[in-house]
Amino acid sequence: MDDLYKEIILDRYKDPHNLGVIKNGIKVEEVNALCGDKIKIWLKVDQGIITDAKFEGSGCAISVAATDILMDMIKGKKITDVQQMSGAEIEKEIGIELSSVRKRCAYIGLEAIKKIKNSLNNL
Amino acid sequence: MKNNFPIFQNNSTLVYFDSAATSLKPSSVINSEMEYYTKYSANIHRGLYQISQIASNQYDRSRRVIADFIHAKSDEIIFTSGTTASINLVAQAWGYQNIKSGDEIVITQMEHHSNLVPWQQLAKSKKAKLKYIPVTSDFLLDQKSLSKLITKKTKIVALTHVSNVLGVVNPIKEIVKNIKNINPKTLILVDGAQSVAHFPVDFTDLGVDFYAFSGHKLYGPTGIGILYVNQKIYSSMAPTIFGGGAIKEVFLDKTILDNPPFCYEPGTPPIAQAIALAQAIKFIQKIGWEKIISHEKDLTNYLLDQLSNISEIKIFGPKKSNHRLGVVSFAFDNPKLPAPHDIGDIVSQKFNVAVRTGFHCAMPLHQLFGFTTGTTRVSLGIYNTQKDIDKLIASLNYAIKIFS
Repeated sequence: MDDLYKEIILDRYKDPHNLGVIKNGIKVEEVNALCGDKIKIWLKVDQGIITDAKFEGSGCAISVAATDILMDMIKGKKITDVQQMSGAEIEKEIGIELSSVRKRCAYIGLEAIKKIKNSLNNL
Repeated sequence: MKNNFPIFQNNSTLVYFDSAATSLKPSSVINSEMEYYTKYSANIHRGLYQISQIASNQYDRSRRVIADFIHAKSDEIIFTSGTTASINLVAQAWGYQNIKSGDEIVITQMEHHSNLVPWQQLAKSKKAKLKYIPVTSDFLLDQKSLSKLITKKTKIVALTHVSNVLGVVNPIKEIVKNIKNINPKTLILVDGAQSVAHFPVDFTDLGVDFYAFSGHKLYGPTGIGILYVNQKIYSSMAPTIFGGGAIKEVFLDKTILDNPPFCYEPGTPPIAQAIALAQAIKFIQKIGWEKIISHEKDLTNYLLDQLSNISEIKIFGPKKSNHRLGVVSFAFDNPKLPAPHDIGDIVSQKFNVAVRTGFHCAMPLHQLFGFTTGTTRVSLGIYNTQKDIDKLIASLNYAIKIFS
């Protein structure tokens, strides 16, 4: 238990580093209907590179903290590389192995970004 | 009471509060199912050999036990795989025969998705109108709305007996009377998934046309459910699934179907489950309704009182035990306190307390009352004790503490 709610999750949940909106950024939303997590993400993409990432969200601690950590992970990366990311990479970064139900909470930000990928391809 | 449930011998610290999802099983039910597999494991109504005869007799007897339990006739009982399958069977076997463009189907805002989606899809495919009985601010069905909602075009009203989120018990007999007063031809289906394990239900007295429930929420096995059909309705229904065991004669160009309920039960039925379900009913009868009702009412009052003592908690449903059962959903009225999924994880991992979190398959109801991140639900069974509730409260306080 203390494993799941270790400092990194609670700290990031109570005080996320990447909260906010990016004016004129690419915006995408994702919901986890199972538990009501709702996340909005804004990305600034310059020549295929993510130069800034912010989010707003409501839901459980895992979804908020994992999305905040994800924002750090993707900054400076090619959006095409982020497209290839797996949820397991987020889990590795947090350092916790999650149950299948909680994986859906933790992966919500990545699911949102994969939608951005699709909309970019469609442009 | 816990001694009757072998799971507690294997998991002695378990505090189980998810009986609304599925109840735990007493040893008499488990032994009955095992007995079928170990002593007379044969198909029914087909073999003339001894063990097949035993299986057939036990299976037939089970249908009678279930029928007696709900004051119905044996041939009004259709075995299905559960409440969901029962409701879908009505939507298809009755709905597709009787719902036409412009007809109206009425359900309520407090339905489980299983009693919402089949009607929504039927209405869409038949171009019928789906209307909702509202839930009032004190969490009861708005019966006053019936005079406007029920019209000559209302073919069916489908509603739950007990809300799986609010715990509210709907006054079915009174509602049926009001609906039939406005339109005597309107049929009534009741979703009884949350009722039959907690108080006696007399289908004849209620005056309903269809009633659906599951075995596994009634201390019985998974994989079996019941659809009660008032025998007068059978003539307006037609099977939608066909196969062996459901027919009288088959020719290359036509088939003569068996009589109901058998024509709705093609294929090998859940034999072991049907037999064990009768044992679950006997288990309930042995304890007695009086004891079950008073035990659960006392616990519900205690639970509501104890939860109300936690600051910033918002109970989603009536705060008194009148008109309600021991299904209590809640959330914190403060986004800095743990969300339902966090609560579910923390109380389980630290205290081995099992609660349900999320929307409990009733998303529209949660949205309607602004519980957008879902709720935590505590649902009681006959094995729960005050000590269980004390452990729950301690675990909730712990969850709050690590978030503050």
